[in-house]
Amino acid sequence: MAALDIRAILRDKGIGRRLRGVMVVAFLALILAGGAAVWMTGRSQQHIRAVSHTYEVENAVLDARQLLERGETTRRGYLLAPGQRDFLAIYRRSAQALPDALKRIRRLTSDNPVQVAYYATLLDQVRRLVVLREESIARITAGDVAGARAAFDVEHSALPMASIRATLDRMAREERRLLTIRERDVATSERMFYVVLAVAGILLAVAVVASLLTVLGYTRDLARSHDALRALNAGLEDRVTERTADLTRANEEIQRFAYIVSHDLRSPLVNVMGFTAELESATGQLSQLVDRVEAEAPQLLTDDARFAAREDLPEAIGFIRTSTQKMDRLINAILQLSRQGRRALAPERLDIAAMVGQIRETLAHRLADADATLEVEGDLPEIVSDRFSIDQILSNLIENAVKYLRPGVPGRIVVRGHCEGSRAVFEIADNGRGIDPRDHARVFDLFRRSGTQDRPGEGIGLATVRALVFRLGGLIDLSSALGEGATFRLSLPLTYASQETVE
Amino acid sequence: MNAHQSVSIVMIEDDEGHARLIEKNIRRAGIMNDIRHFTDGTSALDYIFNDDGGPARNGPALVLLDLNLPDMSGTDILARIKGGDAAVRRTPVVVLTTTDDSREIQRCYDLGANVYITKPVNYENFAQAIRQLGLFLSVIQVPDLGEGG
Repeated sequence: MAALDIRAILRDKGIGRRLRGVMVVAFLALILAGGAAVWMTGRSQQHIRAVSHTYEVENAVLDARQLLERGETTRRGYLLAPGQRDFLAIYRRSAQALPDALKRIRRLTSDNPVQVAYYATLLDQVRRLVVLREESIARITAGDVAGARAAFDVEHSALPMASIRATLDRMAREERRLLTIRERDVATSERMFYVVLAVAGILLAVAVVASLLTVLGYTRDLARSHDALRALNAGLEDRVTERTADLTRANEEIQRFAYIVSHDLRSPLVNVMGFTAELESATGQLSQLVDRVEAEAPQLLTDDARFAAREDLPEAIGFIRTSTQKMDRLINAILQLSRQGRRALAPERLDIAAMVGQIRETLAHRLADADATLEVEGDLPEIVSDRFSIDQILSNLIENAVKYLRPGVPGRIVVRGHCEGSRAVFEIADNGRGIDPRDHARVFDLFRRSGTQDRPGEGIGLATVRALVFRLGGLIDLSSALGEGATFRLSLPLTYASQETVE
Repeated sequence: MNAHQSVSIVMIEDDEGHARLIEKNIRRAGIMNDIRHFTDGTSALDYIFNDDGGPARNGPALVLLDLNLPDMSGTDILARIKGGDAAVRRTPVVVLTTTDDSREIQRCYDLGANVYITKPVNYENFAQAIRQLGLFLSVIQVPDLGEGG
């Protein structure tokens, strides 16, 4: 299962690179296709322009030709029928329009040297023809029709009109030739365009197929590893539940054990204490007897007997008493701890600042005696937890701070707090005598104390605090050095969630 | 108290020391009734149910019961007594034990215990509690059995 996961993760890295590659290829194909389209559009526009240019040139050539032919026809008509003034009028109109038509040809063909050369020839031929025509028209108008006809015959043998027609035909052919070349060019471009399009299309298709395959494969792997993960997770949850149940059971066992032990220890203690009391009252009787014997028959009394009744017995009884009392307190402490472990927790919303305020009121007397102040610094986060436990924790820590102040230094106990994610952190800081770093772990153990033993106590408070904090799902630590005060740092879940099995 | 001279006290207590201390303090309270002491449940039940002088056959009695016994639990004895026939069932049972667990106390009362007392560890308190129990014993009425008593 784990191996599968690792493979999936490795693939995870590969797939990003592969998909990026595919995207780049697809993008390049698109750019190629777009570029080809732009280029092709340009080419076809050029072509359209060339075609229309060719037609324009042909048109202009045809126009000029028509004017020349008409001029020729009307001249001949006028020559045959000099009385007909209509021929003359038409001839004049054609002659007038001719320069413009020629200019148009020149304008349209000025970019082509072949056409320019043809044009020069044409212009030359036309000029010559126009001179001849003007002469013959002038002769006819002057009445010299025969002279005009003779001149026409001479002229006709030189065939000026035929050579003009040939020149014009050549020009039209040249233009046609150019058009054909251009059309061939366009056809080549079109073929290239289609090739580029096809290449781009193939690239795109490959990219699409590749990315599709990659994504499909990845999805399949993902689904598989997801299933594996879910199975693993379920197993893990089961295991956690199992372990938690084990731990809870072990914890309950310890609680029960502590409870039974402390009860069974108590039972003999009742005897020890009871019979010590009996012994004490018997000793009382005995010492009264010794007193009476001393008064009435001193010779019966030995020093040893007197000493035993007055010194040894009371001393022995005193030691037994203080020891049993201490043992009783210790057993009670264990009992109390185990009871707190068994107590049902009732989480509720807690205003810690208000709780500190209550503790301040309870301790007002002791604070005043110790010349100490208890302050809340800033806002304290609200938490949902067990009121009794939190009260015990805070009370114990604050009482400790009051208990172990430095003599002669006004005490200052500060409670601070802030949120860290889903946990609330509280700090109870004092400027008291502090705790030797070597003892930091020890002070939380049951019956262990640190520093000068000049205050009453059994070493139970911090052990209780730690047990309660653990039970609430919290942590506690301590930073301190001798003579520099101590700061207890308490980290609790913002909302207490029970991890214990319901009994 | 003399009116109940015939009421015998059956003390079921495995700890000889406790038994002795209880007896001493009851006597100090002025209770002079006969005290039968058993250190295990089996012989105690045998006495209660089968002995000629036991509460099943003879006069009224009162049971002082410790819960921590070697052979059976005190609550079992309590259940047997309170589940027995009328004569035994009416016998008052005072549970006197070190356990002050609230569930245990509840259970004893559910089973029909008449009084539940926790033995204080502090001897002064213990002695005082037993003496008060003695005073209590001197005023409570124990049901009469048949025409006797």
